[in-house]
Amino acid sequence: MADKLQIAIYWGAACGGCDVAVLDTNEFILDVGAVADIRLWPIAADGKYKDVEAMEDDELDLSIYNGAVRNSENEHIARLLRQKSKLLIAFGACAYMGGIPGLANLTTRDKIFDTAYVDNASIEPGNHKIPRPETEIDGKVLDIPAFYRRVYRLDHVVDVDYYIPGCPPQPDQVKAALLAVVKGELPAKGSVVGAYEHALCEDCPRTRNEKKITRFYRPWEIIADPDTCLLEQGVLCAGVATRSGCGARCPTSGIPCRGCYGPAPGVVDQGAKLASAVASIVDSKDPEEIQTILEGLPDFTSFAYRYGVASSLLQRSHRP
Amino acid sequence: MTDECKIGVYVCNCGTNIAKVVDCDAVAEFALDQPGVTVAKSYKYMCSNPGQEMIIEDIKAEGLDRVVVAACSPRMHEPTFRKALQTAGINPYFLEMANIREQCSWVHDDPGEATGKARALTMAAVRRVAYHEPLEKRSVDMNSNVLVIGGGVVGMTAALELAGGGSRVYLVEREDHLGGNVARVDLTAPFLDSARDVVTSLVTRVTENPRIEVLLESEVTSFEGFVGNFETKVVTKGNGAVSSEFQVGNVVVATGYQQFDASRVTHYGYGKLPNVITSFELEQMLRAGCIETKEGRPPHYVAIIHCVGSRSREFHPYCSRVCCMTALKYAHEVRSAVPGCYVSDIYIDMHAFGKGHEDFYRGASEAKTLFLMYGKNDHPVIRKAGPKDDCEMLIEVNEKLSGEVIEIPADLVILMVGMEAQADSEATARLVNISRDKDGWFIESHPKLDPVATTTDGVYIAGACAAPKDIPDSVAQARAAAGRILARSIHGTIEVDAVFAEIDEEKCSGCRICNDLCPYSAIDFDEEKKRSTVISAVCKACGACVAACPSGAITARHFTDRQINAQIEGVLA
Amino acid sequence: MSFEPTIVGFLCNWCSYTGADLAGTSRIHYAPNVRVIRVMCTARIDPTFVLKALHDGADGVLICGCHPGDCHYSEGNYKMMRRYPLLKKMLADYGIDEARVRLEWVSASEGQRFADIVDDMTQRVRELGPSPIKEGLARDMAER
Repeated sequence: MADKLQIAIYWGAACGGCDVAVLDTNEFILDVGAVADIRLWPIAADGKYKDVEAMEDDELDLSIYNGAVRNSENEHIARLLRQKSKLLIAFGACAYMGGIPGLANLTTRDKIFDTAYVDNASIEPGNHKIPRPETEIDGKVLDIPAFYRRVYRLDHVVDVDYYIPGCPPQPDQVKAALLAVVKGELPAKGSVVGAYEHALCEDCPRTRNEKKITRFYRPWEIIADPDTCLLEQGVLCAGVATRSGCGARCPTSGIPCRGCYGPAPGVVDQGAKLASAVASIVDSKDPEEIQTILEGLPDFTSFAYRYGVASSLLQRSHRP
Repeated sequence: MTDECKIGVYVCNCGTNIAKVVDCDAVAEFALDQPGVTVAKSYKYMCSNPGQEMIIEDIKAEGLDRVVVAACSPRMHEPTFRKALQTAGINPYFLEMANIREQCSWVHDDPGEATGKARALTMAAVRRVAYHEPLEKRSVDMNSNVLVIGGGVVGMTAALELAGGGSRVYLVEREDHLGGNVARVDLTAPFLDSARDVVTSLVTRVTENPRIEVLLESEVTSFEGFVGNFETKVVTKGNGAVSSEFQVGNVVVATGYQQFDASRVTHYGYGKLPNVITSFELEQMLRAGCIETKEGRPPHYVAIIHCVGSRSREFHPYCSRVCCMTALKYAHEVRSAVPGCYVSDIYIDMHAFGKGHEDFYRGASEAKTLFLMYGKNDHPVIRKAGPKDDCEMLIEVNEKLSGEVIEIPADLVILMVGMEAQADSEATARLVNISRDKDGWFIESHPKLDPVATTTDGVYIAGACAAPKDIPDSVAQARAAAGRILARSIHGTIEVDAVFAEIDEEKCSGCRICNDLCPYSAIDFDEEKKRSTVISAVCKACGACVAACPSGAITARHFTDRQINAQIEGVLA
Repeated sequence: MSFEPTIVGFLCNWCSYTGADLAGTSRIHYAPNVRVIRVMCTARIDPTFVLKALHDGADGVLICGCHPGDCHYSEGNYKMMRRYPLLKKMLADYGIDEARVRLEWVSASEGQRFADIVDDMTQRVRELGPSPIKEGLARDMAER
């Protein structure tokens, strides 16, 4: 057992896409299977929590955690895996930055519950039930994971060794990152791996020219020229503020980048930088005109922080 | 980072200016407690000789590598203390000041609050200075060649001045002759000098000057580079287009003005009524020595209307400056050429601001010119006269001084058409990277204090292309621009500020967000490497590109993110 | 002791910082709650700085620049003018009270105006109470 790598792959508040990304490495996963024992992988293998609990500390060589931390189970397993692993990787945008679940941080738990369990067309008025973490049945206490007030990143609750960005991380990057682990060729702790050191524009095939915007368009409002930068044509693309590594698949396919690989290295707040860049190139010096042009960006906050609310400087709404 | 430093903190009392409200000793004590602070003192007058000596000695004795001076505004004494550091042998940029006078002791009365604020500001300075880098001023070459765009009086004057100072000048003129608008004029106001003589003299001197290369029927097609190091292409028409390339250190834009198109003012009937002519058409007659109507007769009544296309909400809001005196000139010239002719001068205001102008005005009215004043939002009405009238046209004026509607006869009406920016002024502005105001005139660096320089270093503007002006002012600007260039070219190199922005090639993704943000066009895009770069010689360090760069690839020297973040942390600690 | 807000101020060197200095030379008194950070131009101000100041505990952020058209660097304040509405929108979506972040144009000759702005903003932020951000984030880490 000691010869083979001991691995765990786990999902917190996740969609399953990151696990599929691992499977998307195709034959490679069989190679992995040949050199590693996957001791926990809820989507694909039999390992149970109690198996992990029974392990020695650091018995696992590597744990890959995808998904954000939204409830107490997510946190509990994160801590468990941290304890039992030599290396813990935050895999995918959710674990790295909070991801799409992080958008919930712009509202409140109460409002979410209201929409899900109370003020909902499929619920009989007056007949709603809001879940609670604990209940008593026949003198026994039954509990379910507690739903936290906000979304946390993985590194909010445990120490993280490496981050692999992406929603999901692209399979060839996953391969490269896992190989690096296997070979022991790892950069400094805390690094982002499986991605490049510059923004997406570097790898985008579209040509880039003068950037002056007099009007923003939703992607469906115009037929954008396929060979020219989308942002220049007024279609909001987060590529300028997003780390590359995904192969620029989205803009190559005709849709704007949404920022899933997170900020460029060294940038603290991706959304703020995108706001600064996009606003700066608005071609007007008149306050009213500027306002009108910016109104072509509905819900800019959710776009700019689509994957990163939980890793923005403010992290969540602070409405009293 | 701070821990590794050896910072000296000096809290100035400024006599009682600061010490009266701020507890300077307490601030110094507080500073001494901070990581990285080796020395912290409170002293009467830091800017005095003993004060500076104290800093210099401490640097030498204690091995200080950074200095914070909490005192007056850095706008006051930053250069003073920077010099002290330099004297002591460390880079002058290792200084940071905290403003505890103008923005603290002089504006707050509660000592507790003022001292608290002084502490916070000092803390911010201490944290910031830890991230300061040693910066050096740099030199770039200054090519002494100069490009002059425009071969009118301004261009020629500038060229001669520059050539006299030793520069090689390339004088580019679009037409097939030199002289510009002044060459179309007969005599100049108010002294009635011959414009022809002025122009001929300049043209002769220019063409005979071995240092001036005149390119007629030519246009500048490209202009790249930065001050001291421009590369320009000029295309000369004629027998096939010939392209020449020159390297110059500076450029003078002397492209002048074009005349307002009188046919746009439909109520004056220019183009319809045969004897309504423009000022320049009258000049042609004056140069030919014969003033007559279209029918070939000398006019008995001549009317001159001011402000055609100028001072108008509909056309141009500005005053074209030269027309009033020129109109008086015409009154004089017409009366000389056609004795017995009645001359009426129909005006809004008489702008007689310059040397000799008021005398000229008085002379015109003493010569019995009829002056009729109309209101700014009004205009005289011209109509064809009837068969019983002894003139061609009748002009009706709501005359303001008399308060009456006056009708005057006219055989010849002269429209004083205003100046406007050349039709291609936008292209010219883009070519050399300067801006235009809302009326199309080129914008100077500062309207009062720097009227011939522009925001683009090395590009100067002179004459009417910057705003309507007469010959004396235009010539003054031509010489001013030449003088500025010669002064800067004296040493063969120029010093470039140590503070500018830099793009990290490794981090730049070639997104080009920054490219059009620079008001100085200091950002270039390398098409091969697909990277943006800052031309540091031209960069003024405003920081627009730095804040906009979504990769954080651009650093503003001496105003880095790290430094500013350290200040934020410091004031909130 | 009643709450006294701490406001971080970003002032551009050529107009507003000079205007603030003028308030000093004119001995115009105003509230001591603003801590000024000098930048060369408001164009240098990355929205990230504003967010960082709030994150680090500022109760308010004041940005002052040259009046439009007067920027020493010709167009710098227009960049701020374009970024500001987007920043405000983001702050609103993050539930930050509108009065906590403010942009004003102050010329080099407007010492009194600067003082009035500081007094006004200090009063408004005082009324709002301490910013909930720093404490809120600390509490998030301590309890779920």
